[in-house]
Amino acid sequence: MTRLSSLFGRLFDFLAVVAALLLFAMVILTTADIVLRNVAGIGFPWANEVTEYALYLTTLLTAPWLLRRGQHVRIDMALALVPSRLAFAMEALADLLGLAASLVLIWYGTIMTVQSARLGSITIKNLVFPEWWLLWPLPACFVLVALEFVFRFHRLMTGPRTRRLEATSVG
Amino acid sequence: MGWVEASLILFGGLVAIMGLGLPVAFAFLALNIVGAWLFLGGEPGLAQLSRNAVQSVTSFSLTPIPFFVLMGEVLFHTGVALKAIDAFALLIRRIPGRLSVIAIVAGTVFSAISGSTIATTALLGSLMLPTMLARGYEPKMAMGPIMGIGGVDMLIPPSALTVLLGSIAGISISGLLIGGIVPGLILSTLFVGYIITRAVIDPSLAPNEELPPAQGLWERWRPFFVHVLPLVLIFAIVVGAMTGGWSTPTEAAALGAAGTMLAAICYRALTGANLMKALTGTIAVSGTILFIILGATTFSQVLSFSGATNGIVALISGQGLSATAIVIGMMLILLFLGCFVDQVSMMLITLPFFMPLVQRLGIDPIWFGVMFLICMQLGLLTPPFGLLLFTMKGVAPPSITMQQIYAASVPYILFGLIVLIAIFLLPPIATWLPGVLGN
Repeated sequence: MTRLSSLFGRLFDFLAVVAALLLFAMVILTTADIVLRNVAGIGFPWANEVTEYALYLTTLLTAPWLLRRGQHVRIDMALALVPSRLAFAMEALADLLGLAASLVLIWYGTIMTVQSARLGSITIKNLVFPEWWLLWPLPACFVLVALEFVFRFHRLMTGPRTRRLEATSVG
Repeated sequence: MGWVEASLILFGGLVAIMGLGLPVAFAFLALNIVGAWLFLGGEPGLAQLSRNAVQSVTSFSLTPIPFFVLMGEVLFHTGVALKAIDAFALLIRRIPGRLSVIAIVAGTVFSAISGSTIATTALLGSLMLPTMLARGYEPKMAMGPIMGIGGVDMLIPPSALTVLLGSIAGISISGLLIGGIVPGLILSTLFVGYIITRAVIDPSLAPNEELPPAQGLWERWRPFFVHVLPLVLIFAIVVGAMTGGWSTPTEAAALGAAGTMLAAICYRALTGANLMKALTGTIAVSGTILFIILGATTFSQVLSFSGATNGIVALISGQGLSATAIVIGMMLILLFLGCFVDQVSMMLITLPFFMPLVQRLGIDPIWFGVMFLICMQLGLLTPPFGLLLFTMKGVAPPSITMQQIYAASVPYILFGLIVLIAIFLLPPIATWLPGVLGN
């Protein structure tokens, strides 16, 4: 389990790097669009739309990585107040709830994607493409998130029986 | 099921799941799954939930968030910020509480280029706090200004959380960003005034330093022109592009991020390694915020369909309270929540009720939004869980206790409250500049 977990850890790191590069590309694309539009009168009409999709993808690509690093914000007030063994039990229950929520999203996300593909739904904005291209990353992301909840639960069970110290706010 | 029971299930459930320590994004998601099942028609509701999740962050109005955060991350990881502090140190010489004043002035400039409060506080804390303590500054005098100005970062654009507030509340994002400038500058000025007054009354709080002899005028001002002015120019471009109708907030934010990188290249400070660090730091902050949005996307819809939104709004409206009393009530709720809940959750929990009230009562959304921002800013500083208190603890020497940090934040919380009351009584503090600049 630990080996598998570390293997996925490397995958999460890789996906985070992809997200970082995607962000860089978003900056360059949007800047190039605005400069070209205002200076040369030509821009990329599809730039805004691509930036939207990139934002969606960076969010999904970073989610499992953030969960592994304990950076998804949480409120640990109750955990800090209760005895460690109870805090430990709450942590375990929270992991199982997180796993259950992820499984629901995988299920309904997959149904949504398959139905869209079957119906041949098309996304029509500046770019025209099958809608399922946009939909499938959601269940795929939650597959990784669900796996991380399993690894997280395993780490909790094999580690000290107390609460974790994780992020409680964002900047 | 009546709206009272629905509200109890939804809010009770949210508090219970968040209380377990499940990350906020997943807590909202878990609750939304139950809510969608109960109030959005079972399976079709869950299908809708998945679709909403995809649409929630596929949004052009949220794109400034990573761009604004990136500006600050580039500034800090490339060391450009360090040079700016040095430039201020050359200019601000004979003034009581000198280093604390430098922290405020440098922090104000960083606020104008960084969209992340935590980055500003961590940077100033790690760079300036050790020097201040080594020179005999009283810990409260050293830490308070850094935390105070870190909070101001949220008010002065660029600010990631302001973009989020505008996007969720349906308030003009550029209007809100511009609206935060005057209150932010007032706070900075009040902080400087307070520091100088305290240092004059009790010089032992901030002992005078032995400064090297003053250099010529140009030697003193040159670093300012080289290392500070370009940063201020980037701020001016971002704000100018937004208000001049030249670009949307997203495009202005992209220009700002590109401008910051370009500045770092000109300073020969940008390397592949620190750019990657900045990008990674950015996706961590923006990914956290955006994933909460993804998880919470259906929350307001569930609240609405369950009848909770209408029920609560009608209950409050039906009390015969004046708009003033309702706004005061909303601010008190925010200040209370700020002590316990993170800023993104504060918005997601309250805005579904607050915005219908704001619209029904004909309240100026920019005025309301700026006060909302100040409440969130205060939430960063209020014990027991203010983010900046812990950021400070993280960068302060081990000898500094949490109690000292709490005590250091108190005057700056009071100043925030004073400005909040001032805006409440005198709305133009928040609405004048957006009005002048055409928002």
